Amino acid sequence: MFYQILKKSLFKRKGRLIIAVIAIVMGVTIPAAMFTVSLDVNNKIGAEFRKFGANLLIVPKSDIIPVGIGDISLTSVTNQQYINETDIYKIKTINWSKNILGYAPFLYQVITAKSNGQEQQVVLTGTWFEKNTTLEDGTNFLTGVRRINSWWWSVEGNWIGDLEFFNFSSTTCMIGINVAKKMNLSLGDIFSVTYQDEETLSLEISGIITTGGTEDNHIFVPLEVAQYLTEQTNAIHTIQVSALCSGCPIEDIASEIESEINYIEAKTILQMTNTEMSILHTIEMMMTIVTLIALLATLLGVSTTLTTSILERKTEIGLMMSIGAENRKIASLFLTESLLIGVMGGFIGFIIGILGAQFVSITVFNSFVSPQLIVLPIILVIASIVSLFASIIPINRALKIEPVLVLRGD
Amino acid sequence: MSKELIVLDNLSKIYDGCTTALNEINLSISRGDWTSITGPSGSGKTTLLNMVSCLDKPTSGSIMIGETKINDLNQTELTRFRRENIGLIFQQHYLIPYLSALENVMLPMYYNNNKDESIAIKTLKRVGLGHRLHSIPAKLSGGEQQRVCIARSLINNPRILIADEPTGNLDQKNGRVVLNLIKEIHEAGNTILLVTHNSKIAREGDRIVQIIDGKVSMSNMTVIN
Repeated sequence: MFYQILKKSLFKRKGRLIIAVIAIVMGVTIPAAMFTVSLDVNNKIGAEFRKFGANLLIVPKSDIIPVGIGDISLTSVTNQQYINETDIYKIKTINWSKNILGYAPFLYQVITAKSNGQEQQVVLTGTWFEKNTTLEDGTNFLTGVRRINSWWWSVEGNWIGDLEFFNFSSTTCMIGINVAKKMNLSLGDIFSVTYQDEETLSLEISGIITTGGTEDNHIFVPLEVAQYLTEQTNAIHTIQVSALCSGCPIEDIASEIESEINYIEAKTILQMTNTEMSILHTIEMMMTIVTLIALLATLLGVSTTLTTSILERKTEIGLMMSIGAENRKIASLFLTESLLIGVMGGFIGFIIGILGAQFVSITVFNSFVSPQLIVLPIILVIASIVSLFASIIPINRALKIEPVLVLRGD
Repeated sequence: MSKELIVLDNLSKIYDGCTTALNEINLSISRGDWTSITGPSGSGKTTLLNMVSCLDKPTSGSIMIGETKINDLNQTELTRFRRENIGLIFQQHYLIPYLSALENVMLPMYYNNNKDESIAIKTLKRVGLGHRLHSIPAKLSGGEQQRVCIARSLINNPRILIADEPTGNLDQKNGRVVLNLIKEIHEAGNTILLVTHNSKIAREGDRIVQIIDGKVSMSNMTVIN
């Protein structure tokens, strides 16, 4: 009987119902979009963190040299600095050394790759793949890019090692998937690389790497090979460090490494994603304010609509009371009605919110968002709470109706 | 068991502190009696009915229905008492417009936690509406609507049936049908309190009580004032 009354009364007042639902939709669309964008971006950043085994990046401090004419400063140039390969072991001498799970140095150089008569400018990256190093205390420490990023890098073919004997005129390499596609190379192919038209190396492809990142555009060779080809003995550009961060802040590890090797900067990945995070936080803050205003407007809108609906149903309520409806029966009818309005509005708001989230994400982050199903229950709860709150005053008015006055026509 | 079912003792109702609708009314109504209440407009008939229906509270005096002193009941208890003991028939046949005749009749049952649809169907058949169970009020004639109201008033087996001008909005033919139904209900042993302007209808009862200016001015059987 309760559901008959509810269903028929809602159907009877479709217009009011639609207005109330629209009010809820307008109120919850923004939070739905906000939650979707926020969760999606956080998930993406989180996924990047998870993918990125290394969580510290060590770079040399760079000197900024102002350039001008006379007293007029026109621009500045950066003096290229390197990290000395012989200092790498110091990373393992800090107090938090046990938290250092691994590291890999990188030396980058643009070279010319030649294959099948085709020439291409490509970044050649020298690194440690899986190198057995000796620490200060004489213990061995197996490290390298395979130790810190192996599950992030998808490799077709084989990893190459650092323990092999290298013949510098002909050695193995790994290439990024984009390089393979561009130069039409596959596993086992041999191609040559030249640096500044002087040194030439023959490289045999041992593995093809797919990471979804910049690595897909690089050719990877052992660090010694890159240093030999580019004549930069002991030089490295960056070091990726994988540090275990439970129990200590990553910033402490970074600052300790900076103390040990005084000419470098240790940057946490968090610092590097700060820009994206700050954009996200700004959007979140703006959306929170807009959401609160929208929800307040919704509250007033729904409350007004329900009040009007109750005034229209004064006689009906008075009649129900006169034939024995207790206050709780009247209240439960209107509360359920409000809840339904909230749920309907919440669901539609969620759908529209996803579309809004796509718009925001494409505009701001230049990427699509995936619908976050967890947002649905959150939005339904918010919409229901707003709707129930909005019904408090109208229901109070309904319960104050005196049947004797209503039935008398006052 | 006392013969008197309703006892009004010095009952007064004053609206807004100055308008006296009922002035120290003393009246007792016996079980199974049909009492017709008459009087000019504004004399206090409907106010008296509202007091006995537990729809309104007196300013002073007391109302006893059976063993229950109505003055002592709070709002929820009054609602429950009304639901279980009193059937109401209004002059304007108030029905929920979007519910069918059957659902309208079942409404007091639902409030009384009774879901037996067969009782409602039987009651509607009793008032001659077995063929209009699923019609909404807008599809029923005035007489039919009033008969739905009568069926609704009877559905919880009330001890007292209170009718305020039940034929006031009906033509003669439909009025007669409704009046015959009330007579049937009375003959089945129900106590009836009926307000009417119509002296002919009033005479259908066991007793006529006339109210003028908020006081009982005459009763053809019992005068307590």
